[in-house]
Amino acid sequence: MSTTDSGLYAGATLAPAVHRTSKVQVFRFSGATWNTHRIHYDKDYAVAEGYPDVLVQSHLHGAFLTRYCTDLVGEQGRLASLSLRVRRFAVAGEELTVAGTVTSVTALGGDRALVELELTETRGSDGETCVTGEARIEVPLAWTDASGPAGGLISDQTNTSGEPAT
Amino acid sequence: MAVDASVLTGLEQEVGVAHSEELGEISATLIKRFAAAVGEESPLYTDSAHARAAGYADVIAPPNFLTAVINWNPGAPYDQLREDGTEADTHLPGVPAQGVRIMGGGEEMTFIQPVVAGTVVMRTTVLLDVTERASSQGPMLITRYQDTYTDASGVRLLESVRTVLLR
Repeated sequence: MSTTDSGLYAGATLAPAVHRTSKVQVFRFSGATWNTHRIHYDKDYAVAEGYPDVLVQSHLHGAFLTRYCTDLVGEQGRLASLSLRVRRFAVAGEELTVAGTVTSVTALGGDRALVELELTETRGSDGETCVTGEARIEVPLAWTDASGPAGGLISDQTNTSGEPAT
Repeated sequence: MAVDASVLTGLEQEVGVAHSEELGEISATLIKRFAAAVGEESPLYTDSAHARAAGYADVIAPPNFLTAVINWNPGAPYDQLREDGTEADTHLPGVPAQGVRIMGGGEEMTFIQPVVAGTVVMRTTVLLDVTERASSQGPMLITRYQDTYTDASGVRLLESVRTVLLR
């Protein structure tokens, strides 16, 4: 993610994270989660079920959203909650992009803030949304000052014409 | 079979019934393999020395790890797996073993404490409610299962609510 002078504030858009999935990733994720469902490794079965190829697991979609939040908070913050719905499938090999928008910022006691995010994951092949979600993260209050240092977390936000904000 | 009155009755009898089991010890190897599978780079998940320097006994798990593991048992014999490859135990108390199409409808996770390698984890599952809904493809049941994960002394680690659609 790029570094700007902007902090976390309601309406801020965050830099996206891109994941190029692969059959070996989907295979290894099934192994790591002890998931024997054929739809994730047996292409003939996936095709018989009506899909173009083996599918990315819903929990791997979830892991990409989780990682988006934990990469954002680093070791100074924590992910408090995450809700998500997998709305469309993605096949192994698909490029998945996770992006977040800040929906609210609330100061907590003791120099901390609660930030709520809206998250989406879209697939590269046709731009359709695969996953929608919401997260709550706890971060240092200093990260939420729109004029303060952002610690390398926040993307450039653009105005409606798409030009970078000054 | 689809979701008929007998399926609904069976689920209604399960509402509020708690099922608890010990999942086992979450080893550093399990955590690191999950992290590698996801492509995680944070050393809290991948580097024991870094995790210790950060104050943990060993690596911690990426937050959705506990809910992502599909089967905690060593694995049933091959002739006991279902036709789709899955284990017979779906972790959905009250849902019939066959005849019903199961679709995930979403998950809400609350992360309470980090899961440190070496922790023995217990899970309690409760069906919160079941709702009938008509859909364009026929009758549908919406179920919500709450899973509470704790360590061996009862400290809560994670709470999740899964929405599961049945047809």
